[in-house]
Amino acid sequence: MSRSRVLRLLPAGQVGSGRGQREKRGREEAAKGAELPALEAAYLSILQGLGENPARQGLLLTPTRAARAMQFLTKGYQESTEDILNDAIFDEDHNEMVIVKDIDMFSLCEHHLVPFFGKVHIGYLPTKKVVGLSKLIGIYVKKVLVLVQERLTRQIALAITEALKPAGVAVIIEASHMCMVMRGVQKMNSKTVTSTMLGVLREDPKTREEFLTLIKN
Amino acid sequence: MEQGKPGPRALSCNGYGPEEKQPSAAASRPPEKPRCAQGASAPSLESWKEERTRSEEDNEMNLPSLAAAYTTILRSLGEDPERQGLLRTPWRAATAMQFFTKGYQETISDVLNDAIFDEDHDEMVIVKDIDMFSLCEHHLVPFIGKVHIGYLPNKQVLGLSKLARIVEIYSRRLQVQERLTKQIAVAITEALRPTGVGVVIEATHMCMVMRGVQKMNSKTVTSTMLGVFREDPKTREEFLTLIRS
Repeated sequence: MSRSRVLRLLPAGQVGSGRGQREKRGREEAAKGAELPALEAAYLSILQGLGENPARQGLLLTPTRAARAMQFLTKGYQESTEDILNDAIFDEDHNEMVIVKDIDMFSLCEHHLVPFFGKVHIGYLPTKKVVGLSKLIGIYVKKVLVLVQERLTRQIALAITEALKPAGVAVIIEASHMCMVMRGVQKMNSKTVTSTMLGVLREDPKTREEFLTLIKN
Repeated sequence: MEQGKPGPRALSCNGYGPEEKQPSAAASRPPEKPRCAQGASAPSLESWKEERTRSEEDNEMNLPSLAAAYTTILRSLGEDPERQGLLRTPWRAATAMQFFTKGYQETISDVLNDAIFDEDHDEMVIVKDIDMFSLCEHHLVPFIGKVHIGYLPNKQVLGLSKLARIVEIYSRRLQVQERLTKQIAVAITEALRPTGVGVVIEATHMCMVMRGVQKMNSKTVTSTMLGVFREDPKTREEFLTLIRS
């Protein structure tokens, strides 16, 4: 336990920046309650900085609510792939494509801390093992700040590869970014689509095409 | 009418300050009915006389402390604010938040003064499907949706885009959907003295979708009907039918 505390206190550059390190720190972190006062104070100063009156009735508890909401939206940091997947991998003698599509996804963009949300479509060709997928998505998307949609797509694909060693994996995410819709260019209807193809879904065009067709309708 | 404001900031930035926590200014409650019935020289109300509570200079001055707050937030969530993707995030997030609350920098009079025209039109005017983006004041999480506005002019009409601008001024604030609906309706009433106004907002609240109950498809619908839209069921029905199609 003390080792993880030392890791946290070191200047950022010295801590390993690999996903494993961050996950470990997240998991071993003391109760989230320890961070709540700092978050609340930060939100209070945000309300004041925006010119609002934090003492008015509607805003009295907002710093606490906003802090808790933010913690919820980033709770993926406290979870790890192994924990989630260990009990959801099953042996099946199935080697046809498995597709789970239209998985709702909500996250925060790491550049503006503004939500982006959309759908994730996943396909993979199992070799003896299948997995419960929606839990997997849950961890990654709630690692809010990791995200950049491109990286999220790739991380999901890699996690599935590591866990299952399938013959191929494809992950497609279509999302709307509020940072584009609510501010900046303000384009209401634009969607961002990213994809990662690994294994036979990358090598073989026919397999890839089957996947892309099946997620379309 | 006197307004016993302790100071500009305490005149709550969304125009409803005097009702909340400031009993001395109770006289300035916004009306339930349009003012046309009382004649031309009705006293003005907060949304019309609202003072700007924030300026560009304020924004610049406050930016560093907002950015510092966001750095604290990133750290408290267990992230590393020094890593490349997050280096400028506190500044971007602070600027974005200022943009989402830019309604505090604008007043109705700025936007409307020259776009009221005398027209001899007394049929319903409807502008619907106005995209609306706001922040819920309880969780600081966006809620987004559409606003539908209808009014029955009484000799004066408003430039159509001004209706959308009114929506922008009030929605770009920390809001509660019910209050937003009412403020839009009251602003149009005060500007035009129409025979009646109806405002309907349908919105999705991210605070319900992304957290809490996590209901993906639920929408919240609020409406404010003033004047003949409230009194006369047929007018109200015409409005509601026309915005539905």
